[in-house]
This record gives sequence, structure tokens and C-alpha cells, in this order.
Amino acid sequence: MQHRFPAIIGVGRTKFGEHYERGHEKLVEEAWLKASDAAGIERKDLDAGYFSDYFLQITNKVGIEEGFLSELTELHIPMEKMRSFSSAFLNACHAVQSGKYRMVLVGGVEKMTDRWDKIKDDLMLLEDPWSYYAGCTPEANHELMLREYIKKHKISRENFEKFNAALAQISVKNHQHAMKNEYAHFQREVSVDQVLKERSKVHKPLGLYDFAPISDGASALVLASPEVAKKCTDTPIYIVGSSSATDYITFPSREERTGFIASTMAMENALERARIGIHNIQIAELYDQSTLLEMVSLEDLRFSKRGKAWLDVYSSCKDYKGFYEINGRKLFVNTNGGLKADGNPLGATGGAQVFEVVKQLKGEAGDRQVEADGDLQFGCVLEFEGFGTKAYVHILRRD
Amino acid sequence: MSSEPIERRVSYIGDRLRGSRCRICGKEYFRTRDYCVVCGRRSFGKIEDADFFYEKGMLEVCTLIKEPTNKFTKLGPYLYGIVSFHNGKVRVPGRLTDCILKEEQIDLSSFEDRGVVPRFRRRYAVQQSDIIPTISLAFTFADEYYPHQKHGIVKPKKEYETPGITGYGVYVPRFRIKEGPMERSVPFMDEDAITAAVEAGKMALIHSGADPSLVGKVYVGSESNPYAVKPIASKVAQVLKLGEEERMDGMQGVDAIDTEFACKAATSMFKDAAALVYYPGARTPHAMVIGTDNSQAAPRDELGGELDFFVGYGGSAFIFGMHDVIAELESWYSCTSDTPDFWRRDLEPYPRHGGRFTGEPAYFKHVVKAAKRLMEKLKLRPGDVDYFVSHQPNISFPIKVARALGFREEQYMPGLQVAKFGNTYSGSSPIGLAAVLDKAKPDERVVIVSYGSGAGSDAYSLVTTSQIGEKRRRQKFNVQHQVENSYIEYVDYDTYKRLKLGL
Repeated sequence: MQHRFPAIIGVGRTKFGEHYERGHEKLVEEAWLKASDAAGIERKDLDAGYFSDYFLQITNKVGIEEGFLSELTELHIPMEKMRSFSSAFLNACHAVQSGKYRMVLVGGVEKMTDRWDKIKDDLMLLEDPWSYYAGCTPEANHELMLREYIKKHKISRENFEKFNAALAQISVKNHQHAMKNEYAHFQREVSVDQVLKERSKVHKPLGLYDFAPISDGASALVLASPEVAKKCTDTPIYIVGSSSATDYITFPSREERTGFIASTMAMENALERARIGIHNIQIAELYDQSTLLEMVSLEDLRFSKRGKAWLDVYSSCKDYKGFYEINGRKLFVNTNGGLKADGNPLGATGGAQVFEVVKQLKGEAGDRQVEADGDLQFGCVLEFEGFGTKAYVHILRRD
Repeated sequence: MSSEPIERRVSYIGDRLRGSRCRICGKEYFRTRDYCVVCGRRSFGKIEDADFFYEKGMLEVCTLIKEPTNKFTKLGPYLYGIVSFHNGKVRVPGRLTDCILKEEQIDLSSFEDRGVVPRFRRRYAVQQSDIIPTISLAFTFADEYYPHQKHGIVKPKKEYETPGITGYGVYVPRFRIKEGPMERSVPFMDEDAITAAVEAGKMALIHSGADPSLVGKVYVGSESNPYAVKPIASKVAQVLKLGEEERMDGMQGVDAIDTEFACKAATSMFKDAAALVYYPGARTPHAMVIGTDNSQAAPRDELGGELDFFVGYGGSAFIFGMHDVIAELESWYSCTSDTPDFWRRDLEPYPRHGGRFTGEPAYFKHVVKAAKRLMEKLKLRPGDVDYFVSHQPNISFPIKVARALGFREEQYMPGLQVAKFGNTYSGSSPIGLAAVLDKAKPDERVVIVSYGSGAGSDAYSLVTTSQIGEKRRRQKFNVQHQVENSYIEYVDYDTYKRLKLGL
């Protein structure tokens, strides 16, 4: 079985942020050239392409993305366009695993800053039209989840300060990580005080520094069958478990509103496929659209106990050493800066998450390279579409 | 640009908060569906309609929205949260409306775990030429101005020989502006003549206990329909489910029509409604007449701007029928002349006057003529009338005309509501009538005389029945409740202008 795991043989990405002068084609080009270069392959080696973007049709009035890519690459291979990078990646994995293709390019791109004027509306309509009709914003769902969390887990008044600080520390930690990431949207530090100040400025439980930004960017990777991968690289990174799960579009109508059941289900399934336990995961890239989501994802994925993740975060971040310490084990989370500081160009975000885990597993993360206890072997990526409407988990392994 | 089919589908579900209930397991859904996710295929054909329009919800959690999506920016900061119905069987997203948040720092927990009532409102702002989007995912607190009231169908006890009013409702929002001796009702930003019509109709159905499916016709009189072409009555019929529901087609078996004759657009139809329910072949047990206006006025420094001191906002609805009548329609008299005292040309936003106030020969001539002729017809002297109500464009006209007709203060003061609500145009004299019916004892005579510029008057004589008292208990949201309420919020002139302009 092990030999059928598809492998990543090269990753590439652009810097995330505002690319005022560059369109989506230029961004995609940079990412896939870097990935191809890293993999040491030629265009003609590719059997197929899987791409992702959420909004190009809306933001840039681009219809058939595959046509642009065909023209850009001079390729006429089968290409498909998905919504998130993870869905493109998962489908590419299935295709390689089935034996249909031997080598596939997976890429994602987003140009969100081109439509600052209405990106919030588009994001909210994508998340859930009925919540939009009732006046919801993308941020409001996070705040409602926070209210639910506080109520359900009875965060007391005396603990409230610590709880708030823990959420702020997530942002601080991610900004710290991004300092070492040349591709990050924000390469600057923030302090707990700054995070709290931004909240109090608007009298809200979550503020500017709690939310991931609007970004442009692209990411890509080359996926190959294990046989091909071994010929291309000494350090193929295998996708040993990859899974997804789906939940209701309308957040209020879900039974569980202090986390995402889709995360839990996708993780359980992925672990089962990888035949490992949660304790084997040493590094994780979580989808921190907000500091709250990084925290609840620790619970959803079962790293932390229900209602206790904030305590794990708080105690780890008091004197932060570069990782969370949960149940006596090190867990490196969002070492690229997470969505908060690395940036969140939706269709490309998942690619940057995979990029980071691959770089870490290969020992090529430079200044960011983590120091795991023992060999760094397993990492995972969690990506969402919408507000937990879809969750994708990929477990990556280095032999 | 609006998408007509999307607007139709969203409004159809959202205006009434339509949902479904599984008859096997009892699971409920917001939004209609044909089978239950728990029971699967065996639940086909066992799903019944449920809607949450008359239900009381609970605001479970909420948050403050300061930077909304584009279409909500005009509202200013607002609360948004999760509302549950039936002890959590259904949860929906909802915006808190009728709330001007003044303080920067608010304690969210003070709003949570409180009962809320769905309100029919404009959904969000659109271009002037677009279809007006509406929804009932807007809520207000049940323990404040607008109480939750159950809606039930009451089996009629008695059939009358004379048609009359079987129930009525008045809707005025909680916002007021106070200038000089007058208080005037001010719509919240998401309100208009359409939303007030639905609210008033809802109150009338609650009060009458009439089966909405037996309402055969609805008339909506207004001079401030936000559409030049498209009836308010169709919205009222659909949202209130008037007439027999043709569910498969999403249609109502009811006739719905808008009428316009300045401020008498609604009262004119009282006799038509009464005649219709009386007509033996028509089989129309009930007919509803609504008067609704977001009364328009030009800015104060412009021609016609003097109206800006008098205009109000609100709606009233009266249901006519032959069963369980609370006030029989004894007789009427209407008169009309082509007097151009007040008009609004097509495409103009505000009405105009003929350069001076419209007293003589418009208001007084018509009101006096109609009242006198009606009283002559019935051989009535002022002393035979218990209450006199006339159209109320300001405080002085109705008092002057009542005195001229020989009525005393105790006869005309109970129906004089203009000082509390302002001139609600088509809803003006009907709100006065409602205020009187709220108080009247059985076997009392009410004379109401409307006035519509252009010009004409309708005079009616109504005699209350013994059932007026028992039905009164069904309506908490009566005129008095809306006049004396600790949740009334007074706004300054700038806020008034902003709210009045709307989304």
C-alpha cells in the first residue's frame, strides 16, 4: 500500500500580499515555475493539471481558467479547476493514486485586492447567502462562535483575561513566525498589547490583529506517483492520508457551533488512512482565518481537549519557545505565520500551507526550521472552504 | 441589478420565514423541504408546512457589526446573532432591528437569552430602480415595544345581519420626533409603506381571529408606495397568506389591489369591503382594508416643506365580515370634487400644496359636507354620536371641523391621535378610528370622516356590538400601547431625516 502514496516532488509559491501590478497569470506563472524548478521537471513531463481559485470569475472576470493556463504553459493536457487548493490537491492525489496520471501540477491563485470594494460581500455570499441576507459579515461568524464557546465552556470572569490573552498570543506567535518567512504578507511583529488594543478600539472581542488579511498570491506543487517521485528526488514527501468532510452552509443551523465537525471527521479519516495517531503529528498548518479558529482547530483535530485549547495556548505562549506544548509533546503550528501573517489568498492558501510542511519535513525551511524531538516525520495541513463548510486534512510524511 | 427570480425565491421563504416539519420525528427546518434528513425517503408526503412568522424566538448569541457588507452600511452599527425557535429545534441568522446603538461599549450578554419577535423589513439597500428586497430575519425584543402575540384562528360564534369590522390593527414604530406640541412617528431605516402594511395586517389578523385563508380580497391604500408600478397588496397577500394557499404554485387565492386617493385611499374601500362580504354570491367571508404611508414631505426650505413638520409613519388594517362583528357599518356618504389642493407628480419624490395650507375650500368643505349628509341620511344629531373621528393632517383642523359640526371634546378627543403620531396620510383617520374602537363600549356610535386631497371625503357611521370587549383582550399592541410606552425612543431632527430617507 505504502508505495501507492502519491508524493510531492517540488513546491513553489509567490509572496502573499497586494500585487497591484501583477495579474493572476503572472502570479500563477511564478509559482508553477518555482515548483517545476524545485522538482527538476519539464513541462512535457506533466500528465495533467489541477488548479484552484474561489473568485477569479468575480474579481477578474476570468471564465475558463484552464484556457489561460494552456496558453501560458503551451500545454494541452487535461486540466481541471476547483475552488480551494486542497480540493485540487485531493483530486490530484486520487488521480495519481488510481494510476491514471504519473505526474500532475497542482496550483492555486487568488487576486482579492483587485476588488477591495466588494470582496467582503463576495466572501460572505460564498460563506452563506442566508446569513448574508440577515446582515452577517465574515468576521461576525467568528465572533458568534466565540460567544458560543465562552458560554458552552463557561469561561469564568477570572479566566476571561487569560482566555483573551491566549487568543492574542496566537496572533503574536504567528506574526513572530512570519518574520522568518520571506513570502509572508506581514513580516513584522505585533505584541499582545497591540492585539488587545485593536480589540478595545472597536469594543469587540476580536480585532484587526485577530483576523487573516485579504491577499493576492499563488502557490503550486508537483505531484508524482511514488515510482516517478523516487527518480526525481531523494526526499519525496508522501501524502499518506488525505480526506475531506462537509457541513451545513448556514452556520446557525449547525448543531455544533463551538468548532467544526468537518475538521474532526476529515482528521479522523486521514489518520486512519495514514495508519497513525494524532500523537504522531509533529507539525501542523491550521486554517487560522481568525485566532479563534486556530484555537478551536486544536480541539477539533483532537490535539487539545474540548474547552481546554486556550489553556494549552496560554501556557505554551507565556514563554514561547516556537511550539505549543500539549500533553507533554511539542506541536509546531503555523510556522509560516499562518493565514494571519503569511496571508490568505483563498485559492492559493492551501498551497502555502502544504509548501510549509513540505519545506519543514525536507529540512529546507531555513531560519524557520523547527527542532522536533527526534526526526521530523509527520505533518498535517487543515484547510477550510467557507466557515467550516468544508474541511480538508492532508497528512504528509517523510520517509 | 436585481434578479427577479432570486428576489421572488428569497422573499417567498424569507418574508414569512417558511419552513417544514417532519410528521414522523418532529424535526423542523427553516426553508421548505420535501423530506426529513432523519427519516429519509419514508418521510416523503409526511412533511408539513411550518413557518415562524408569528413565533417567538430566542436570541442565543449575538455580536456587534460595525463594518458590514456593502448593502448594510447605511444601517450604522447593528447587532447580529443566532435566533432559535421552538427550544432550539430551528436556528436562523438574524439582525436586530429598531435599535440605534449609541454607546460604543455594549455588553453583548445583556441582549442574549432574550425573546425576540420576527419583523418584516427591507432586507438591505439597493439601487433606486431595483426590486425592493424584503425579509423577516429582522428581530426586535419581545420584552420591549413590540410584544409577541400568538396568532390563532377563532371559530366564529355569531353571524350578523349587517356587515362590519371584525378586527383591526395599527402599526406605528417606536421612534418619534417631538417638535412643539406634536410627536410624530418615525420609521426605522428598514421600514416603508410596504412593511407597515404587512405589520398592520398581521395585527388585524391577530385581533380578529379570522382565518386568513377566508380573506377574499385585500385593498391597500397608500400615497407613498415605494414602487410607481407594483402593488403593495401582493406582498401583503403573500406574506400574510391571505386567501386559500396554492402551495405548489406559491400563489394565494385572493384578490389584491392597491388604491390611491391621497389620504382617503383606504377609507374609500371600507364600503367596498363591506359590500363584498355582504354580497351573497361572492362567498368572501372577509375582506381586508389597509391604509399605510411613510408620509412624504419636501425638505423644510423647499416648496411643500411645511409638511415636514407634520408627517408621520404608520399603517392600519381593518378586516370586514359578517361574523363576530365588533362594529356594524350603519351607513356612509362620500363626496368628491376635482380640487387640486395637494398633488405629487409622477417621478417627483415629494408632494406639493397649492401655495397655502389646504383648509378652505378643500378639507373643511369636503369633511363638513360628508359628515352633514351622512347625519342627515341617518337623521342624527351630534348628541346621537358617541365618537367623532376625522382626517388629521394637523391638530387644529380636526378640532375646528368637529366643533363646527357641533361635537364636544369628549366626542372628538379620543380619536384625535395626530399629536402622537403625526399625519400618517392614508392611515390617519383609520388610526383615529382604531383608537376609538380600543375604548368604545357596546352599542356606541362612531362617525368617521376621512379626507383625501384631490379631493373627497368618506363619512361612515359604525355602531359597536357586544363582541367588542371580548375581542379587545386579543390585542396587546393597541393604540394606547403605542402612545404610552417606555420603549418609545425620541430622535433628533438629523436622525429623523436619516431614518426617514431609509435604506
